[in-house]
Amino acid sequence: MACIWDTHSLHFGLLFGILLSFSVTTNGLKLWPMPKSVNYGSKTLYWSTNMQLRTDGSNYADSSGILKEAFERVVNLIKADHIIEAKFANSSVLAGVNVVVHSSDDTLNFGIDESYTLNVPAKGSPLYAKIEASTIFGALHALETFSQLCYFNFTSKVVELHAAPWTIYDLPRFPYRGLLIDTSRHYLPVPVIKSVIDSMTYSKLNILHWHIVDDQSFPIEIPSYPKLWDGAYSYTERYTINDAIDIVKYAERKGVNVLAEIDVPGHTLSWGVGYSSLWPSKSCREPLDVSNEFSFKVIDGILSDFSKVFKFKFVHLGGDEVNTSCWTTTPRIKEWLNNHHMNESDGYRYFVLRAQQIALSHGYDIINWEETFNNFGDKLSPSTVVHNWLGGGVAQKVVADGLRCIVSNQDKWYLDHLDATWEGFYTNEPLTNITNPAQQKLVLGGEVCMWGEHIDTSDIQQTIWPRAAAAAERLWTPFDKLAKDPKDVISRLAHFRCLLNQRGVQAAPLIGNGREAPSDPGSCFKQ
Amino acid sequence: MNCLRGFKSLLYGFFFSFVLSIWVRVHGQNIWPMPKSVSFGNRTLSLSSNFELRTYRSNYLDSSGILNEAFERMMHLVKAGHMLKTDFPDSGIQDSVDIALNTFDDMLTSLPVLAGINIAIRSPNETLNFGIDESYYLYVPDTGSILFARVEAATVFGALHALETFSQLCNFNFTTKALELHSAPLTIYDQPRFPYRGLLIDTSRHYLPVAVIKSVIDSMSYSKLNVLHWHIVDDQSFPIEVPSYPKLWKGAYSNSERYTIEDAAEIVKYAEQRGVNVLAEIDVPGHTSSWGFGYRSLWPSNGCRNPLDVSNEFAFEIIDGILLDFRKVFKFKFVHLGGDEVFMGKAPYILLFYSELNDNNMTLSDGYRYFVLRAQNIAISHGYDIINWEETFNNFGGKLSPKTVVHNWLGQGVAQKVVAAGLRCIVSNQDRWYLDHLDVPWQHFYANEPLTNITDPNQRKLVLGGEVCMWGEQIDTSNIQRTIWPRAAAAAERLWTPLEKLPKNPREVALRLAHFRCLLNQRGIQAAPLDGYSRNGPQDPGSCINQ
Repeated sequence: MACIWDTHSLHFGLLFGILLSFSVTTNGLKLWPMPKSVNYGSKTLYWSTNMQLRTDGSNYADSSGILKEAFERVVNLIKADHIIEAKFANSSVLAGVNVVVHSSDDTLNFGIDESYTLNVPAKGSPLYAKIEASTIFGALHALETFSQLCYFNFTSKVVELHAAPWTIYDLPRFPYRGLLIDTSRHYLPVPVIKSVIDSMTYSKLNILHWHIVDDQSFPIEIPSYPKLWDGAYSYTERYTINDAIDIVKYAERKGVNVLAEIDVPGHTLSWGVGYSSLWPSKSCREPLDVSNEFSFKVIDGILSDFSKVFKFKFVHLGGDEVNTSCWTTTPRIKEWLNNHHMNESDGYRYFVLRAQQIALSHGYDIINWEETFNNFGDKLSPSTVVHNWLGGGVAQKVVADGLRCIVSNQDKWYLDHLDATWEGFYTNEPLTNITNPAQQKLVLGGEVCMWGEHIDTSDIQQTIWPRAAAAAERLWTPFDKLAKDPKDVISRLAHFRCLLNQRGVQAAPLIGNGREAPSDPGSCFKQ
Repeated sequence: MNCLRGFKSLLYGFFFSFVLSIWVRVHGQNIWPMPKSVSFGNRTLSLSSNFELRTYRSNYLDSSGILNEAFERMMHLVKAGHMLKTDFPDSGIQDSVDIALNTFDDMLTSLPVLAGINIAIRSPNETLNFGIDESYYLYVPDTGSILFARVEAATVFGALHALETFSQLCNFNFTTKALELHSAPLTIYDQPRFPYRGLLIDTSRHYLPVAVIKSVIDSMSYSKLNVLHWHIVDDQSFPIEVPSYPKLWKGAYSNSERYTIEDAAEIVKYAEQRGVNVLAEIDVPGHTSSWGFGYRSLWPSNGCRNPLDVSNEFAFEIIDGILLDFRKVFKFKFVHLGGDEVFMGKAPYILLFYSELNDNNMTLSDGYRYFVLRAQNIAISHGYDIINWEETFNNFGGKLSPKTVVHNWLGQGVAQKVVAAGLRCIVSNQDRWYLDHLDVPWQHFYANEPLTNITDPNQRKLVLGGEVCMWGEQIDTSNIQRTIWPRAAAAAERLWTPLEKLPKNPREVALRLAHFRCLLNQRGIQAAPLDGYSRNGPQDPGSCINQ
């Protein structure tokens, strides 16, 4: 069944349902996430065996090959590992795609124009699909959408594009559409991180929030403080700084920003393996010692190194779940707090604000978990973005205070909550109870979080997908085009999940809790 | 900790753990599966940044690129996704660490450099025949002016195993950001214990995309498994194109959950380039409900849809057509004809043609035997040797073609009966080697001995090997690899390594297997932790090596 949006397209859809065959009803509007505006016809086009990328009229020179590589990836994804029949005779041959990009710049800035138009004509010789976008990154989204229009025909053994002509205009609802991964609780090998990045682009997510370090391990190399990664789990479970550069570059070439997190002052036990003076004491190992200037020097060194690697506008400074008892039970620190007329929550505030200043000095805007806002919101730097996680209803308070916000309420958007269903992911609305347009703009978007306590290479993709895709549509598609009842999108999401499988991504069945195995034999489309 | 064999190597190990740093202990002797014979020294070599493949004195021309591609894959795997120093000629961040790197440069240059690997293959032939010589010899010197690792093998497929072993000896040095090999000089002589080391996948209960099947093949080569048993069709769906009977794949789940015959050929080619044979199964006469969607007359009736209609010549014509098409694609010596779980006694079925069986003076089980033997003859006429599930042997073993290989699955103790009857056997007893049995831990996979109670050397030779089975009722793309690995690897060592080198207690290999599981993860394979219940997620945060 096609998913049909309003009465206009409903008539359209019914008409087509009668006129056209099985393939259109199954293939018609199976795009995920649903674009802002879609019109389509009834004609089937056939791929040329030699699909061409053209850039007639484009201002983008593609000197770094981003576009060319993206085109080749898309062609391979569409072929889905099938062998394509070399010769066939038909007049409606799609010769290729012409991509016009207005901007010559390929820097992936935050809030960049990601819009695109995609036209697939039904007539003309030769026939070219036409993509127009302000930036190369809009064009990448257009290619992903294009890939979802094409199908391998198992009878003729050629690739077909159904329901031409197509006119699609599309742009994201929110500029921040994130996924968190956690490489401290379990190390994730570089190829695994890259495969997560690949899969993000299929649902147009654009921020990989890399929670690199936590209590359990410190896997990344910090050249300024080379003993920090002594806190890694093992010799091999580490990332060199060049690995990090490679990951960032890999992500950016696919339109994905990498947000590095260095969570302070809590969640830092692993730091002291290399520099034990960062621990309040040997027996009480976090939060970082607020009384020790060295704590801030190390943060400065980390952020200095990060600023050369992680070029994203933001850095995440954590600030969540800070248990300050080690500060009060360690006499040295207790005394320092007294001398500075601070209680422990003053110390927490002092630490967070000072870390913010360090980040600002390195040119970063700051993201902090919501506890910083809940405890001393009015003291935060105005460039702070507050990252909600504890529950619903936080964003409205944050934006009422004039700060920006990212939504990740754990009851709906924590992927490690296996009892959180895709329906809950789909219906979680970041702008709930926010009506003032100026305040709405302060909600940058949202993020689904794949915390790693029970996640490693073996189960990460299965736990992320398809639930993250449900949130991805919420963050991309215009509000008025989102289904009120997730039941209305179930067959389209099932179709997208099968597409992920086809592309080798271990997306789990929709039925059941997070990452459940299929309960019975059956078609992918029904599970 | 190393897994060390014998008191001498134990002392050796203690010595080294003092002298050398952590990575030697992790990497020294962690090859999986354990080769037939290994001896190693204590020197570290640095792999040249232009580490090259040479084929001096090789008779194998590699016109199809099997060896060259395998070498490139190996180099890629050894990097484990890391950036080598030479991958980063200039970057801002490196300026700040230049001093540090310079120091390590000195260290790096002080190590002997391994310039490449020379692979000499005796046979120019690259046909992957069953029982082919898979042995190899690998030597890594530690002295000489230009150091080259040396591989000698009878066939290119032995050389592929050598490259896999070599890849497990190398590691990325996080300080120098270069590749190293520890424990030189190294001498390894290796060959498999059994010629048949299989893994079954099932694309009928759930369709597996071609990309997923290819990734399963990749992962098989890491533990030197060499037969992919493709249970293509079953009651639930008929996903493959059969050009001779083009309506058969109407029994597919959906339009897209299908394989063209070209897809099948591509999968076979992909596998063979990695030394993996593809065994196609066409299970008859049971497990065939999906056949009738294209050709209804194959069903006994609309209400009773399997086994195939024994009274209908068309059933045999279609098997002939399938095997004719298969023979062009599946070049392996064997085809699997199933023959398991045939239920003949469903009421309407009996009523329908019990009379016809009667006309031919057959009982129900005579009909079953008649069907299986006739299918065998069709397969033989297409040049195949036959594999059948053990029910055929249990019911009428005396009548089976002597070319039959009996595929055990119901339980233990079957192989000894099969080989006593002079037939060949493959072991897959479900209580130990069925991967869909989530309650079977890796230790049981490891300890399952195919030659149990078989002492006569001639009979032993009739056990071709074994196979772990990943039945697909609850398996799809989302969980197949984590359900297969690491348990399949435990069986792979049982099938590869000489019996006398296999410890009685699987505990002794736990750490080496954990290391191999981490290696699979590093290569992007979703191998599950060892310490939980089959494919469970990790219970707690921690290092891969401890889970």
